[in-house]
Amino acid sequence: MKVLIAGAGSVGRHMAEQLALSGHDVRIVDVEPSVVGDKADGGPIDGVTWFLGDACEVGFLNKIGIETIDVVAAVTGDDEDNLVISLLSKQEFAVPRVVARVNNPKNEWMFNEMWGVDMSVSTPHLLTALVEEAVNVGSMVRLLSLEGGKTHLVEVTLAPDSPALKKEVGGLGLPREAAVVALVRAGHVIVPRNDTVVQGGDEVLVLVSLGSEAEATDAAIRAALVG
Amino acid sequence: MGLFSRKKSTNGEVIAVSPSCHLDDVVPIGEIVARRRVRVVGEVVRMKTRPAQGVASLAVRIEDETGAATVVFTGRRSIGGVSLGRLLLVEGVAMNRGDTPEFTNPEYTLLPREATKA
Repeated sequence: MKVLIAGAGSVGRHMAEQLALSGHDVRIVDVEPSVVGDKADGGPIDGVTWFLGDACEVGFLNKIGIETIDVVAAVTGDDEDNLVISLLSKQEFAVPRVVARVNNPKNEWMFNEMWGVDMSVSTPHLLTALVEEAVNVGSMVRLLSLEGGKTHLVEVTLAPDSPALKKEVGGLGLPREAAVVALVRAGHVIVPRNDTVVQGGDEVLVLVSLGSEAEATDAAIRAALVG
Repeated sequence: MGLFSRKKSTNGEVIAVSPSCHLDDVVPIGEIVARRRVRVVGEVVRMKTRPAQGVASLAVRIEDETGAATVVFTGRRSIGGVSLGRLLLVEGVAMNRGDTPEFTNPEYTLLPREATKA
């Protein structure tokens, strides 16, 4: 797979390294001469081609061969640049998959198909979720969003007063758009069946597709698991 | 009547002429190669608004004798002049969305309606 990474900071560089190790053809771009090429910290990476230039410019993207690129990852430290790079990739070059980094969570609302973004990742958001997940017993934490924000993986650690205790998975009363995909109990992953009984302390992982009734679905899941 | 021909009445008089010179390099919609810059002409047969997190896009389906394509205009619900039955000249790069090529915010030209339709 041919991947173009825009932004050669630590995120971009590490992505390039890992993708190249997996055998992909990686191109990485940055405007900063000091990070590109032989002068970069740690030297150039095997299997990765470096370019110095502005990924927000159509002419430059053409020059580096974007028309055969399968995936563009816009991972600069600047949200505006990431949006422009995403839109140009989709609109001018019909890149099949565009992934973008969200630096400031306040901008997350823009990172969707309006700006050519197929998948966005907000590191602060992810980290917050993981922190909450570690400390929150009894409330619902959103771990991950998939499919451009239409599907979410949420997690509830069942508190002692949860209405779900001692009920079977099939009888939890979850809305139709939610599916219990796993239980984590004492470090073991349990693939639930309809008659699996949940216990206090279980981490319940639910996959939810949010349609037009997102708030109602959300409330229903909380009502069933949190109380 | 195809999109690029002249229609003659029974006594040989030309009664409808399709636009000419700026339709150089137009390819049939059925021959669109994804991810290559192309020019196509199609008739608007369907218009849909796609909501996306509070902001809408307009998805226009254009057809000619050889196939159909989708033209998406982001961030708006309508475009002046783009209506059902209108001929649209579209220039841009399409991606394959299932079987249907899809353009995002391409350059577009509104072509005059033909004087008569077959």
